[in-house]
Amino acid sequence: MVLDLTDVTPFFTWLLGPGWTDGALFQPITLVVLLLLAGFGLFTLVRRARSGCGETSRRAGLVFATIMATVAVVVLGLSLGWMCLSAKTAAALQPKLLNSVAWGLGAGWYQGAAYQWTLVVLCASAIALLLGWLVAAVRRGPGAALAGTGQVAGDAILDTLRISPRRVGALAWLAVMESIRRRVLVVFAVFIVILLFAGWFLDRENIDPARVYLDFVLTATTYLVLLLSLFLSSLSLPTDLKNRTLHTIVTKPVRASEVVLGRIVGFAAVTTLLLAPMTAISYVFVHRGLAHTHELVVDDLQPVEGSRPGQPTALQGKTSRVHAHRHRVFVGPDGKPTNTEMEQRHTHLVTPHKDGEKTVYTVGPAQGMLVARVPVYGKLTFRDRSGKPAEKGINVGDEWTYRSFIEGGSLGAAIWTFDGVTRERFPKGLPAEMTLEAFRTYKGVIEKPVLGSLWVRNPSSDKNKPVQVMLFDSKDFVIDVHRIPLQWQTAKGEKIDLFKDIVSSDGRVEIWLKCEDRGQYFGAAQADMYLKARNASFAWNFLKGYLSIWLAGLLVVSLGVMFSTFLSGPIAMLATLGALVAGFFHDFMYRLATGQTLGGGPFESITRILTSANMTSQAEPGLTTTVEQTLDAVAKFGLYLLSAVLPDFSRFNFAEFVASGFSIPGDTAAMYACRTFAFVVPVFVVAYLCLKNREVAQ
Amino acid sequence: MSPQQLFRRKLGYLLMIGVLALLLLWMGQPATSATKGAKDSPGGVLARLRSHYRLSQAELGDIDPTSVTIKLSTLGLRGIAANILWAKATDYQMRKDWANRAAVLKQITKVQPNFINVWINQAWNVSYNIAVQFRDDYRERYRWIIKGFDFLKEGMVYNRREPRLQYELGRMVSQKIGKADESKQYRRLFKQDDDFNAGVELALRDNWLVGRKWYELAINMVETMGVTMMGQSPLIYRSSGPLCLMSYADAIERDGTFGEVAQTAWVNASEDWRRFGNFELPTSFMLDDKPVLIRLNEQEQEEAESRKLVAQLEAIEPGLRDKIIAEKKASLTKAQREAMDIPSEKRTPKQLGLAYQAELAVATTHDELARRITGPNRKKAIELARKAAEHDQIAQTIRSNRMVVNFDYWRSHAKTEQSGQVLTARKLVYQADRKAAEGELTAARDAYRDGFRAWRRVIDAYPDYLMEQTANEDLVDAIQRYHRTLSQLDEKFPKPFILQDVIDQYRRQHQEVQDEAPAKTKKPAPKKAK
Amino acid sequence: MQSEVVIETRSLSKVYRDFWGRQKVRALKALDMDVRRGEIFGLLGPNGSGKSTTIKLMLGLLFPTSGQALVFGQDAREVTKNQRIGYLPEESYLYKFLNAEETLDFYARLFNMPQAVRRQRVADLIEMVGLDWAKRRQLKEYSKGMTRRIGLAQALINDPELILLDEPTTGLDPIGTREMKDLILKLRDQGKTVLMCSHLLADVQDVCDRIAILYQGELKEMGRVDSLLKVRDVTEIRATGLSPLAQEEIKLAIERNNGHVLNMGNPTTTLEDLFLKIIRDSEEHPGRRVRGVAERS
Repeated sequence: MVLDLTDVTPFFTWLLGPGWTDGALFQPITLVVLLLLAGFGLFTLVRRARSGCGETSRRAGLVFATIMATVAVVVLGLSLGWMCLSAKTAAALQPKLLNSVAWGLGAGWYQGAAYQWTLVVLCASAIALLLGWLVAAVRRGPGAALAGTGQVAGDAILDTLRISPRRVGALAWLAVMESIRRRVLVVFAVFIVILLFAGWFLDRENIDPARVYLDFVLTATTYLVLLLSLFLSSLSLPTDLKNRTLHTIVTKPVRASEVVLGRIVGFAAVTTLLLAPMTAISYVFVHRGLAHTHELVVDDLQPVEGSRPGQPTALQGKTSRVHAHRHRVFVGPDGKPTNTEMEQRHTHLVTPHKDGEKTVYTVGPAQGMLVARVPVYGKLTFRDRSGKPAEKGINVGDEWTYRSFIEGGSLGAAIWTFDGVTRERFPKGLPAEMTLEAFRTYKGVIEKPVLGSLWVRNPSSDKNKPVQVMLFDSKDFVIDVHRIPLQWQTAKGEKIDLFKDIVSSDGRVEIWLKCEDRGQYFGAAQADMYLKARNASFAWNFLKGYLSIWLAGLLVVSLGVMFSTFLSGPIAMLATLGALVAGFFHDFMYRLATGQTLGGGPFESITRILTSANMTSQAEPGLTTTVEQTLDAVAKFGLYLLSAVLPDFSRFNFAEFVASGFSIPGDTAAMYACRTFAFVVPVFVVAYLCLKNREVAQ
Repeated sequence: MSPQQLFRRKLGYLLMIGVLALLLLWMGQPATSATKGAKDSPGGVLARLRSHYRLSQAELGDIDPTSVTIKLSTLGLRGIAANILWAKATDYQMRKDWANRAAVLKQITKVQPNFINVWINQAWNVSYNIAVQFRDDYRERYRWIIKGFDFLKEGMVYNRREPRLQYELGRMVSQKIGKADESKQYRRLFKQDDDFNAGVELALRDNWLVGRKWYELAINMVETMGVTMMGQSPLIYRSSGPLCLMSYADAIERDGTFGEVAQTAWVNASEDWRRFGNFELPTSFMLDDKPVLIRLNEQEQEEAESRKLVAQLEAIEPGLRDKIIAEKKASLTKAQREAMDIPSEKRTPKQLGLAYQAELAVATTHDELARRITGPNRKKAIELARKAAEHDQIAQTIRSNRMVVNFDYWRSHAKTEQSGQVLTARKLVYQADRKAAEGELTAARDAYRDGFRAWRRVIDAYPDYLMEQTANEDLVDAIQRYHRTLSQLDEKFPKPFILQDVIDQYRRQHQEVQDEAPAKTKKPAPKKAK
Repeated sequence: MQSEVVIETRSLSKVYRDFWGRQKVRALKALDMDVRRGEIFGLLGPNGSGKSTTIKLMLGLLFPTSGQALVFGQDAREVTKNQRIGYLPEESYLYKFLNAEETLDFYARLFNMPQAVRRQRVADLIEMVGLDWAKRRQLKEYSKGMTRRIGLAQALINDPELILLDEPTTGLDPIGTREMKDLILKLRDQGKTVLMCSHLLADVQDVCDRIAILYQGELKEMGRVDSLLKVRDVTEIRATGLSPLAQEEIKLAIERNNGHVLNMGNPTTTLEDLFLKIIRDSEEHPGRRVRGVAERS
């Protein structure tokens, strides 16, 4: 499972819900006041907690913990009560409740990730407190248990508020020194060696060498960095415990929170320090590995067929062969060469020079290999052959159902609806880039490609008819660029102005794709057509790709530190590795847990393997099947929980987009950064609690 | 743990390593040849196994440092690694991610460069399966076909003693380019391809000729290196080259090359076929505990020899055979006798069965005949019968081997095609086709008429030609084009038509096909049947 | 002199359990003791008697199974108390990959000291422990004595009011031991409280004001060293320059006064006697607090 770029939600919409701009809380004035208040409150709290003597702050902590516990219990009670309410009362109450919240936070606030996260964290804390109290109550009686729980909660708050940057800094520095001592630089050397040898086995003859190169450097870096952070983070605390070096540290005024945070920050710093040069070297490696040029000798150019003798003719020919490809070159009758034809997803600039009587051509460096296109994706719908709206097109029998097909010569069409199309954004018309798949039911004329057409329609009213823009010859599996001009004339002689007549006032436009050859088909998926807003900086996009590695590294580091607070070194490492592997197969795990895989759950699958049964055959009813399915149900529930808790590491991988030359939207990057921190926070809390409540000297 | 214990343990490990190393040393002892007075030794177990399975890297082909590094770094799990990669490649293929698929494929070959089926299977997959995914652009398809070819060529670098790769490349180059629906386009692109055909003269850049070259290389390896073409019968692989030459001659005629060039091509093909017929093929037929070697060209000779011997045998006691047959007939049932008397095409299924039994019963071998002979000639007669039976057997073996490669057809076809009459006829029809395509209908009509007249002469001269299905179908196609031209001119198709027997033969053949497969609807305009 | 109590334990107990929660060792049984400001307190006992456990409980490195340890009136698990504590572990558990300066600077940062203060403090301490010549060397190159010294320096980095020393003299040569003892006395003179545990009786006897003797997790004896060791009916005579004749004379004089000469010559370490007696007693009557010796005081 990779991330889907066709559906990018703006960062704040994702964070705060779709209607956050309307929320009373987020009006500029309220926001400023609230932020000031909150800042002041926080400042005072921290200052008091830091300077206040033990007893006072302890009491403050206790009060705070009690309040939090009460809130949690109340929230829990309310939600339980809500479930018990009769449907009628609930229905009557709901709008009022929701309206008041929506007034504050904007409609649809509950879709905001921040609120969901807060709610989950609150509930989880409440449940944890409750469980802690219950366990303690069994052992020490309810009263003492309440005091104990309060103490833990109070301590937790104090330990968080009193975190000293200097101490954390010192501990982080120690982690860095330790990493250096553990020969982290070896990893760097390994990376260099891998790159040195990579030149041997990277497939430079591939149809898309940029993809191969980028995929390789990103994957190699990911594995190295993740494994490194895994080893460092999970082995560090256990080693300190074993060598008792931690004794000397915790007998200083260092809090468990600082020890944990120090490690996380320290190892994150090591990851950063290592990743930064790796990024730079990878960039150079990719650039140099792909850089090449061709030669074009005048003798290789021949007049284009059908040219008349005696007149200035157009020439065509091929460049020299480098990296297993040549480019076709055309020189116009005026002697001006065009750019070379696209090969291996790039072109070269050809410039003629006069060398005495002869003309010499220079072929420039590769262009368009390393790009970061900024696509504007639309929403794809279909029309079936009779012109009725349909969710999907026709299946032509491919195993892969990613693309849906439309029939040629019928009313069938694939329609993309684009948002946010403005004259400012697209001053030169709409650059529609397509990747189509043509499907022929008969061979037809072999040397003629299937004919397609593009139409546009104003979506503001159902009455508007699509207007044809152009006919085009299809190209398989390549990015085919067509520009929808600002103005054009239809076959009937009508003059059409794109922004005046077609784009709706709210900036929406539909682009229709039709197949003109009867009986032939076009296949399309949502991501197959986009408007290219611009080319973003490739280097910046490359950096974003490495940012995703950094984020994943941070996740691994925090997980490793967490596991190492309560497990011994090798076990902590295995646990982290397990979390990492499970995280990479997150999608599979989820599908397994929700029964979307063929062959049943784990136990049923094992039986199938052992009995060589087909994946799709019905399991025979009987005792074994019942036992299997019961076990599977348990396993599936476990997997479900696991998939809910673990981060989906495969999504923390922007490599696919960097490699295929698409810019990673800032919103997406911000979202994943946010998600990482949302995950690191609870992990940090768990790690803190574990370390705080364990005996360091045992 | 005390230092002593540690020390003892270390010592133990060291000893174990030593024992294993000795074992390895003994098993891996290299083979030595009997030079300088030393004894000839086949080497240790490993060395013998290595040579038996021809696993020695230096013998296999180039040693690729990357490949070796990757193989070593998989720690003996390269089979598993290859499996995982293969599954990945399949997945990429399903998702039509060609770039990644190609990259993974490259990795597989690095992991297992000496697994021949990987090369053959994946080359085929690229040229045949992936290429057609590019449904729209035949040039793109062609490039993917070439990618498959290049893949095989890469495999040859790693596997120097594997004629299968050369043979497979020969097969793919000739068939995939020459027998596709797009063969016209592919052949054109193949001629223009400076990269795949680097160093090949323009005149020889024909897929059939290049294919034949690869076939020859494969056969050459078999003959000089002492390697085998695992699982392929020499009958088949040796026929591929000559067949390429026939296809070549056929293809250049389709491209409009006639006259001396085409004739030479057919002569060459005919000559190559003759050479193939002279090659000694091993058979499973044993004589004196030795497998008999046959030559396909010698069937007639063997038959003549047999006939001569039978004549000598029958001359010993003339009329004896008829007498034996009459005796046998007498012992048949009445029904069997009656069934035998009915001409075979008029027999009912039941009668067919009866007649078959009867014929079996009546059949008399040379040996039976000889053993009825008494007197001083008996010994000679039995010897004659044995020899005749042997020649019969060899002739029969040759006959069945000939059937496998359709030997007789190709021999006569190559002969017929080189005749001036056929060449003229073909050229005329080709010119007519060109004229029809250019829209010069009257000229086309006249040319067709000339062409068919020429064909009439050919068929009169070579009546067998009519029976050749491909030739017949080609001719019917041409007649249909003529028909179309006439209807464009609003003229009636002449009756009686000069080549009516061709059409009749065509109908008869297709009637048969239809009888056999009634589900198929009758094709109105059958393009090539294959 | 009734002074302020710095450390107090109230029926402090510690039970070690194994992975399954089964009781493995009762390391400490209901310990009640206190350490007062300005004194040198010695915890005495053979290996495995619970000295280390007690110190670790006081430092919050272990959590009591029952009872309480209070340091400066706060629970021992409270982190803020560490601000006023210096701890020298049994072996100096330091990071071997740091040098002396880095080590001290690191620990100083854990006390949240500003940089200027830190620099001064680190320089002073290195000077004090006499490692100026080796301050740029990694600790892995240090000898045992040097490591010990740098360990002591880190324990004093915050100028603590209370110093806990776990076996401060083990592994030191006689001169090192002497220096350590002098330092401990000097610290006491500076008004600091010192709690040390040791199984080297001579050290304890030399420097401690008060001692507690632990055996098998139980407190066997606690009190001032001088009073614990004073044996009233025994007179010890130590003199130099006596001729054998003079010695004979003194013997005779004692006998004349109905005295009885027990021994004359090099006196034995009497704490050792006390210690061995306690252990013998405990083995004969397990679980009883030994009073025999103290009663005589």
